[in-house]
Amino acid sequence: MSGAIQQEGGSGSGASQDFDLNLAPIIDAMVVLIAFMLASASYLAIGFLDAGVSAAGAESTGAAPPSVTITVEMNAAKELTLKVVGKANATTRIPAAEGKADHVELNRKIVELTGTWKDLSAVTLVADSAVEYREVVGAMEHLRKSVPVVLLGGF
Amino acid sequence: MKKSFLGKRKAVSGDMSLQITSMADIFIIILVFLLKSFSSGAMSLNPSQGTRLPAADGQDIAVEALKLEISETLVQVEGKPAANLAGFKFEGADLQANGSSKSLNQVLELERKRQLLIAQSNPDVKVDAKVIVMADERAPYSTVKAVLASAALNGYTDFKLAVVKGD
Repeated sequence: MSGAIQQEGGSGSGASQDFDLNLAPIIDAMVVLIAFMLASASYLAIGFLDAGVSAAGAESTGAAPPSVTITVEMNAAKELTLKVVGKANATTRIPAAEGKADHVELNRKIVELTGTWKDLSAVTLVADSAVEYREVVGAMEHLRKSVPVVLLGGF
Repeated sequence: MKKSFLGKRKAVSGDMSLQITSMADIFIIILVFLLKSFSSGAMSLNPSQGTRLPAADGQDIAVEALKLEISETLVQVEGKPAANLAGFKFEGADLQANGSSKSLNQVLELERKRQLLIAQSNPDVKVDAKVIVMADERAPYSTVKAVLASAALNGYTDFKLAVVKGD
């Protein structure tokens, strides 16, 4: 990188006014800046799960209630209980599979229900007090594949 | 006789000048790229040291909302301590009959009042029901439930549960 300055007029001494910009300190500054930015960067990709609260309000919203309401209960033994209340009533227990909550079976049953009841758009998830948050989030993640709205209950 | 080509080699000067103009160009591009990628994230979520967010495939939406964090010893509101926890659990005296936390309620009530005051003085600002919950994956549901109940009591009903994407 170089530049040249030409003077107009005057006799001029003939000395060259070309100059070279010293890039070394600029490079040094950039290396420090890039290292600092890379060191302070967070590589954690954070996403969000939408959750509502299933609770009774003081006033009626006026919206028509769905034909059935579905509640999924989780216990500390990772057993799931699917409760259907409304125009149809049923309780189904889904035992843990290989020490984990059987989300595949739960989803299969919920897909069956959404096929039968077209106005079904929300599921309430209730967990025992001792159930870890990661289990609740895992269940929410799986439930969202078959039902658009997952509400947290038990309040 | 064959001449050795080595004998004809010209003496090469030992001085070497590194061409750093292109290097400066590269660094400028990297710097601009890094600055751009940092500024595009409107929201900054920095869980405290030791807090492990659960892994799930969450939505990649940028929301600006009140931040609640549940770690092993504290519940924080906007990075400030609001309630003490012992092994992820509220102290018995702090929990109320409705399942919410007394100390957390006080802090959330103040936050809500602050939001309402800002909304009153500035019509462009609307009172928001959104709240970002950054809870440690080991926290029991009873603690998460108490925090959510406290938030809901103070008008924060739209919960965004922060999760780590991918494994």
